[in-house]
Amino acid sequence: MSGIIETLLWGVANGCIYILLATGLNIIFGVMKLVNFAHGQLLMIGAYVAFTVSTAVGLNAYLSILMAMVAMALVGVALERLTFRRVLGTDKLNEIFVSLGLIYVFENAAVLLWGNKLKQIPNPLQGDGLFLGDVLIGYDRLLAILIVAIILVALFVLLKKTKIGLAMRATSQRSGTSMLMGVNIEKIYIFTFALGAALAGAAGALYGILLPFDPGIGALPTIKAFAIIMLGGLGSIPGAVIGGLLYGIAENTAVYFLGGIWQDAIAFALLIIVLVIKPTGLFGEKGE
Amino acid sequence: MQKKLIAIIVVVIVAVAAVLVGWQLMQTPSPSPEARAIKIGLVACYDKAEGQDMDRAAKMAVQEINDAGGVWVEEWNTNVDIELVIVDTEDDSTGKSVGPVTQAVLEDGVDLLIGGYTSSGTLANQVVAIENRVPYIITGASSSLVTRRGPQGNYGGLPADNQLRIEDAEGMSYMFHYCTTTADYSKTVVKFFAETMKPLLDSTYGFDSSRNLRLAILYRDDAFGKGVKDDSKAIIASENLPIDVVIERSYPTTATNFQTDLTVVKDANPDAVYVVDFIAGTAEIIKQGQRDVGLDTVYIAVECCEDPQFYTLLGQYGKGQLLESKFAPYAGPPFYLSTIDTYVTDYQAKYNTLPGMMGADTYDAFYIAKAAIEAAGTVDKAAVRDAIESVSVDQMLIITETGKIEFSTGVNYHEIAPVTFVEQLVWNEAAGECRAVIVYPDTAPGIDPLKQADFTLPEGYEPGSP
Repeated sequence: MSGIIETLLWGVANGCIYILLATGLNIIFGVMKLVNFAHGQLLMIGAYVAFTVSTAVGLNAYLSILMAMVAMALVGVALERLTFRRVLGTDKLNEIFVSLGLIYVFENAAVLLWGNKLKQIPNPLQGDGLFLGDVLIGYDRLLAILIVAIILVALFVLLKKTKIGLAMRATSQRSGTSMLMGVNIEKIYIFTFALGAALAGAAGALYGILLPFDPGIGALPTIKAFAIIMLGGLGSIPGAVIGGLLYGIAENTAVYFLGGIWQDAIAFALLIIVLVIKPTGLFGEKGE
Repeated sequence: MQKKLIAIIVVVIVAVAAVLVGWQLMQTPSPSPEARAIKIGLVACYDKAEGQDMDRAAKMAVQEINDAGGVWVEEWNTNVDIELVIVDTEDDSTGKSVGPVTQAVLEDGVDLLIGGYTSSGTLANQVVAIENRVPYIITGASSSLVTRRGPQGNYGGLPADNQLRIEDAEGMSYMFHYCTTTADYSKTVVKFFAETMKPLLDSTYGFDSSRNLRLAILYRDDAFGKGVKDDSKAIIASENLPIDVVIERSYPTTATNFQTDLTVVKDANPDAVYVVDFIAGTAEIIKQGQRDVGLDTVYIAVECCEDPQFYTLLGQYGKGQLLESKFAPYAGPPFYLSTIDTYVTDYQAKYNTLPGMMGADTYDAFYIAKAAIEAAGTVDKAAVRDAIESVSVDQMLIITETGKIEFSTGVNYHEIAPVTFVEQLVWNEAAGECRAVIVYPDTAPGIDPLKQADFTLPEGYEPGSP
């Protein structure tokens, strides 16, 4: 019994990483209608940035999350200006191929800069936890869940209570009309991409705190993030949250009951089932 | 008159001698114009620590051989150097390992191949050598299928419709396995548990002698992992060892998060966990097991983890844990073989790090190749294959049952008879990481004692359920 409780807790913690990644991807897709297959590589670079500031500067692992978010936001601005801006609004295939090319650029850059060996961000809480009966609850898991909750609340406030959030939502629903109403679409696109990249950076830093990583870790999370936003509903932030949690829990319980080789199969089976029953996803929203 | 006669005799002698010397010089053959460097391809995954160790060891062996005059090739009447051809299989995945070997064989024209890392990668890339009749001394890939999947190995017991079977008996005769097989080291591991750990558990925790040791096997989902798992269970059954395999779990080869698998293992209450993976995966499992899951047990790693990176990655989590091996650069000096003292010293001087096990096999293999080519007197591949088959040289870095390096005398597939042992890791404050002591067995052929210390249970160890 203790094993399944621990497994559920890990599922929630891993799900939190997926939530951040999928939310960032969802925001970018929702506002810009852009499909970025290199989003997982932003997670990977975020993990390395956090690792570097933690090990080289000695910054606390949890403070390094902020550094990763800032760094990835800047990377996001550069990416949007230098690559996606050039192809946005042209054939969808152009966006897809740009993002596919970026996967190789980021992965090879990471190998050049940090090598290809597994790394993990030094975490002061690593190995510490409390026992509830036989159940070991790691403090680092609990803190990860708390951090994600704080980021999501901040994101909610940003989107619902600020002018720029209003502009983002308006652009998401009717970009043409928003432009006519005086919204600077270009600035909104830059901000949106930077925000999505910052969330990926936070996801990467948390990933690096909880798990070992290498330059190849971005590929599968990207696909999972896409699956999560389809599961939760395209453009829906609550959908990404619920989808991410479901994914994390489904993956870990599949490993627990069926074995590690079923981890990805079960999670994607869940996606297929939901899409067959409700093709718009759990919280699908209609937009432009 | 007499002086004149003597002078004539001297002149005649000098003339005859000059003629003889000239004739002799005429007869001494000059090096053949065909003489060239011997091309040996090193098949290694340069992405990984193991491959980098193999590369360093190969370069060291080649430099030593070339500096000592090279390899004598009788048909060329000269000594020639070895030219190392890099055959980089990157991560050694099946998809990436065949192309580089094909290039080495068909374009670079290697005379011989040495290396191989994962079983799955080597099973894929060796087909190129089999089809093109290139001798291949395989120093990694512990699956016995690399030499037994042909007719002479009775297809390694594979069913008739299995795609791994090779019908080309002659092609398979070019394969030589200078490495322990999964059966070799699984036997050492399970016998250690039965003969050493079980009695210690019984006496420490007052277990009834009829209680079997509870073993968990956590393995990567590939030929290597399955081979170790199957061989371990087969040996336990065939030798009727007092061990119950209470759980066996596989995971994808790409996994880096083992927490849930370890939780399932913990739920099975094992006395020990046999971890079947390479360096990074094994180190992660041992760390995550203790740190994240609270599975405070004895973990034993496979010999491919005998590498500096493994000790570094483990850090303090290595304390009291076990490593099965056939080469122990962390258990000395002094070492159980003087050849290891020399090798470790030279390697450290050259590369400023301790050597690993994968490189030790590779290093030996270059000397085996040298001996075989000199015995064959040619680089003709069939002749070199025959020479490797009959090679008999003194053991070097790897202990063998006979003290000689010989490939399966009396059987048709080519394997050596290595000796493996179990090391326990102990924390070394000065080094800032663990070092090893050999704890099993007591002796090896020609080495008495081999054991350096008694096995002790790690601090905080918790046995499985009674």
